[in-house]
Amino acid sequence: MNEEKSYSKRVEEEFKNYGKRVKELKASGKRVIGYLSPIVPVEIITASGAIPIRLKGDVYEAVTTANGYMETIVCPFVRNVFDSALKGKYGFLDGLVMPHLCDSMDRTADIWNYNLGLNYFHFLNVPHVTDEPSLDFFKEILSIFISSLERFLEREIREEDLRMAIEVHNRNRGAMRKLYELRKSEPPLINGVEMMKVLVATMGLPVGESISMVEGLIEEVSERKLISDGHKPRIMIIGDQIDYTSLSETIEDGGGIHVMDDISIGSKAYWADVEVDKDPLYAIAERYLRKLKLPTFVESSDTYSETVEKRFGYLKDFIEEFRVDGVILVTFRYCDPYGFEVPLIKGYIEDLGIPVLYMEDEYSASTIPRAKTRIEAFLEMLME
Amino acid sequence: MSEEKKTRQLATEAAGKIPKFVRGNLSATLRAKEEGKKVAYAFIADGQDEILRAMDIVPAWGESYSGICAAKRDAERFLQKAESNDFSRSLCTYATCNLGFDIWREELDGQMPPDAPWGGMARPDMIIGSAQQLCDPRFKWPQATQYYLKDVPVFIGGMYYPPWDPNTDHKQQEKLYVRYAKEELMALVRFCEKHTGKKMDWDRLSQIVELSDRTCDMFIDAYELRKAIPTPMDTGDAMNTMVPITFNLGTEEAYNFYKDLFDELKGKVDRGEGVVENERFRLIWAAGLPSWFALNDFQYFHNKGAVFPVEVTYRVCERTDRLDLPRTDDPLEHIAWRWVRYWTNWYEKARKRPGSLPKVERIIEYIEDYRCDGAVFHSAFSCRSWHAGIIQQAQVLTKVYGDIPILILEGDIVDISTYNEADTHNRINAFIELLEKSREKRG
Repeated sequence: MNEEKSYSKRVEEEFKNYGKRVKELKASGKRVIGYLSPIVPVEIITASGAIPIRLKGDVYEAVTTANGYMETIVCPFVRNVFDSALKGKYGFLDGLVMPHLCDSMDRTADIWNYNLGLNYFHFLNVPHVTDEPSLDFFKEILSIFISSLERFLEREIREEDLRMAIEVHNRNRGAMRKLYELRKSEPPLINGVEMMKVLVATMGLPVGESISMVEGLIEEVSERKLISDGHKPRIMIIGDQIDYTSLSETIEDGGGIHVMDDISIGSKAYWADVEVDKDPLYAIAERYLRKLKLPTFVESSDTYSETVEKRFGYLKDFIEEFRVDGVILVTFRYCDPYGFEVPLIKGYIEDLGIPVLYMEDEYSASTIPRAKTRIEAFLEMLME
Repeated sequence: MSEEKKTRQLATEAAGKIPKFVRGNLSATLRAKEEGKKVAYAFIADGQDEILRAMDIVPAWGESYSGICAAKRDAERFLQKAESNDFSRSLCTYATCNLGFDIWREELDGQMPPDAPWGGMARPDMIIGSAQQLCDPRFKWPQATQYYLKDVPVFIGGMYYPPWDPNTDHKQQEKLYVRYAKEELMALVRFCEKHTGKKMDWDRLSQIVELSDRTCDMFIDAYELRKAIPTPMDTGDAMNTMVPITFNLGTEEAYNFYKDLFDELKGKVDRGEGVVENERFRLIWAAGLPSWFALNDFQYFHNKGAVFPVEVTYRVCERTDRLDLPRTDDPLEHIAWRWVRYWTNWYEKARKRPGSLPKVERIIEYIEDYRCDGAVFHSAFSCRSWHAGIIQQAQVLTKVYGDIPILILEGDIVDISTYNEADTHNRINAFIELLEKSREKRG
């Protein structure tokens, strides 16, 4: 068995058995803190000595138990993950951090807290405005989070712990960005389905093991030979927690190639680092409040064009660098933060001359056939 | 073509004055340009309206206008307009109805859409939203609106309160939240000054804030008269009488309205006049915005002898002396304290009852004070902010307070497409039977 196969195999294993490695570490005495969304500063959890694991749902698992606790008007992803948690999938967690990402998380935080019976639960009240008072406020909110973790883990989180955690998470993000670089070629050295599996697999690993996996993959993938069978429509997916491969599979089975993403387990989580030459808490606050490109955050300018450029300008760079031919924009039903941005983002990208397919989805495998039909039609249009 | 709804019977004269109030607010937006005033799209209960009043900025309430469209059963065409612009039906329908209206008005170069309910709402000079804990649409809706009204500046301010945590003393965090809220309110003042070309008159703001305090106190005093048996006013009327406190805070008109309401209710109480002749059941409207197109359902409850002497919805303030507000000469700081203390007002009670929640403690307090026999919730599908968590509130209420009849109605605030009157009435009938059985059981 050569090295490439061994890394690819590990990605497959971690993808199929999400959380398995963390569960093993828990059994060996490590503390594990779950979290939702990319706005929870994982550096702080790492600095505490606990292992952070980002929770995901399972689109192939119907929501059942959660129906008795959580309304159907809540984000389908949030409901799905809560359902998984109720069913014991995350029974290895010592605690959970729920951020104020959106109403679906804010308004259900008590439901999670009261019904999962975890030893530790913290609601991280992340502000949405990015001005100076908000940054100061967020820094204080992070201090409260640190204090609560210290009390729970009975361990002080020192400045040097934070600095080390920042360094290691920056390294992880840097490695992932290098892997993304290998998607720029035609054809890409790593396809969309494989990349999605890497993104899922790594978010369920301790950060050190994630780095090893990604750096190992970079070496292997770099040695692959480019074999082109003609130009295929190069697709970027935009959305939030798309932690399943069916969209990428549909694109690539339909004659396209998924070359880039703007999703919350992908580039949204990996594109910005924490600055290392600043006060660590300030730098963490700054990174999460001002550098994450999420609809949760508001950065206003004097004019509409400046505001929209600040919000979506990075997409223009992605489209150019990854030579994107078409964009598939996916929102989840009942998602106000993304839903209200649809005309804006669609308009912005279409003004760049790039076609957009917009789909409202339900974080469920039941919608795959419907999505497949629309994606195939979109690809056909791009290939004409 | 809109479908006209049947007129609901009002219990109070005060509620009958409300259409004039609402029309007045709308026409103020249409008159503003002639009067040299700026119009701002604004949101209710976010601590920002007193600043607008002090700056002579005329607020245009999108939530109110969507509610009007819904009440007149004329929202569908605006919802469809928004949907044709890729705004999903699952989003907040206050927002999508208003966006549909705005898009249509822009398509007509500023002319009102044909037969716009009550003459329509003026195009704003600015949009003032807030990114906070009341709801996501309060900052996403302004951003979406600006896509169609690109020349209109937008301000979004942060406004938060300490989250509920049964293991944490929120008072330790209050000052942090108040300081932040004050700074964000100051940022709003600067924004208003920039876009009106006027400086804030701080003495005037202080007077307005003091008037708001008195209005809140009068509002609560009037509403507490509803504790009487029979109750002189129900939630159906309260969905009207909430207008001044919600949309006209900081004005003499609002204060005078509640003074008049107090006098009217006092008279009814003295005379023993109730909403219904034979008051059989007293209910709390425990959570949820109403279906504005189906306010007649309150009448249906009345016909069964059931009344709502109290509701959580739109009871947007508390008597200021009960909030124990720290003394300050800074009106912004006062607004911030009032905001934070209102939202955390039931935390202490919840902490004292293991397993409870602040929202549930508030319901329990009202159940006891207003001697309610059952609780009704309304779950509106397009609004997560007020409606996610209702199942939990109902479960915790039963768990910590005891077996009380509960009805959870389902519908929407604006979108009539999911509403089924027959089904709703059947559920109310079943609930009335449950109340009867519960009473028999209690003896």
